[in-house]
Amino acid sequence: MITTFGELLEQHEREIFAYVLRLCGDRDDADDAYQETFLAAFRGWPPPRRGQERAWLYRIATNKVIDRARRAKRLVRLADLKLAAPERDGVSLADLASAIKVLPEGQRAAFVLRRVQGLDYADVANALECSQDAARQRVAEATKKVREAMR
Amino acid sequence: MNDLMTDARERLMARARREGLETVGYSVIDSPLGPLWIAVGPKGVVGIHYGAEPSAGELGRIVRAYGPGVLPDARRADPVARELDQYFAGKRKRFDVAVDLSPLTDFQRRILSATARVAFGDVSTYAKVAARAGSEKAMRAAGQALGSNPIPIVVPCHRVLASDGTLGGYSGGLDAKRTLLAFERGSVPPGGWPNRPSS
Repeated sequence: MITTFGELLEQHEREIFAYVLRLCGDRDDADDAYQETFLAAFRGWPPPRRGQERAWLYRIATNKVIDRARRAKRLVRLADLKLAAPERDGVSLADLASAIKVLPEGQRAAFVLRRVQGLDYADVANALECSQDAARQRVAEATKKVREAMR
Repeated sequence: MNDLMTDARERLMARARREGLETVGYSVIDSPLGPLWIAVGPKGVVGIHYGAEPSAGELGRIVRAYGPGVLPDARRADPVARELDQYFAGKRKRFDVAVDLSPLTDFQRRILSATARVAFGDVSTYAKVAARAGSEKAMRAAGQALGSNPIPIVVPCHRVLASDGTLGGYSGGLDAKRTLLAFERGSVPPGGWPNRPSS
C-alpha cells in the first residue's frame, strides 16, 4: 500500500509524465501538467480510495491538461488536445499519433488511456469521470477509427 | 525522457518544499557498506536504513511521526550525506548533523543519547549504556532499543558490544558491525575484545 508522497511519485511519475506529454504534445506544457498533477495529489491526500491511486492520478492529470488548454484557449474539449508521440518511441508510434489526431471529441483521451497507457476500463472510466460502459464505447469507436486511419 | 523527468521532478520538489508539503526528504547514497537510505525531517536526521529502500516498518514509523509528506530530496539529505562520505573516507570522527529522536520513547532516547557519547575508536557494552541511561538493570531492553536504532552509524550503536566482548547484534547485520569496528579500531580479534571496552 502507498503510504507516502514519495512512493506515489516513484511508482507513477513516469507513466503520468508520458501521459501528459502525449496529451499536451509539448515539453513545457507536459512539465507543468506533471507538476500540477502531483502537487494537487499531495494537497488532496489521501486518495479517495486506497489502492486506486493510479486512476486517481490519471483523473487529476486529465483535468490538469484540459484546464491548461482551456486557460490558453478559453474553451476546449478533449478533442482539441494535441497529441504527440515521444520521439524515442519511433516511427510506429508517430504513425499512431497522427492516426489518433483524427479522433473526435471524447475518444482521444479514452484511446490513449486504454491503448497507449494500458489502463483497465475501470481506471479509464475513473480518469474520464464517465461510466465503464461509456469508456468501453469510446475506446471501441476510437480503436475502429484509428485502424481505418492507419490502413 | 530521463533528463526531462529529472528536471521536472526537481522543480516539483522545490514547489512541494515551498508549499510545506514535504515534511521529510530522503535520498539514497553509496557507502562501503552498500546503499544507505537516509531521511531528514524538520529537526534533523530521522532515519538511516541499510539498503536502497526502507522497510515497511521503518517507513510506517516515519509516516506516523511526520505524516505522508516523505519525498525524494537529495538537497535536503546533502549535509548528512556529506558527513557520511567524510566518515567513510576516514576524514570525520564525529557527526555534527542534528538527529531527531523525538518520536522515540523516553527510554530509547536515553539509551541512544548514551550511545551517541561513545567516541570513534571506543566501544562500550549494553550494560554500561543501560547504566549511563540510568537503568542499570535494563541491559536487555537496552539491547532492544539499540537493535531498533533508527539512525545507525550516526548514532553509533555498532560501538556497543555484549559484556563478554563479543559483537552482540546489529540491524545492518553483523558483517556491517564488524566492518565498522574494524574501520574505527582495527580488525576485531577472534572472540571479540575481551572485557576491555573503554567507556
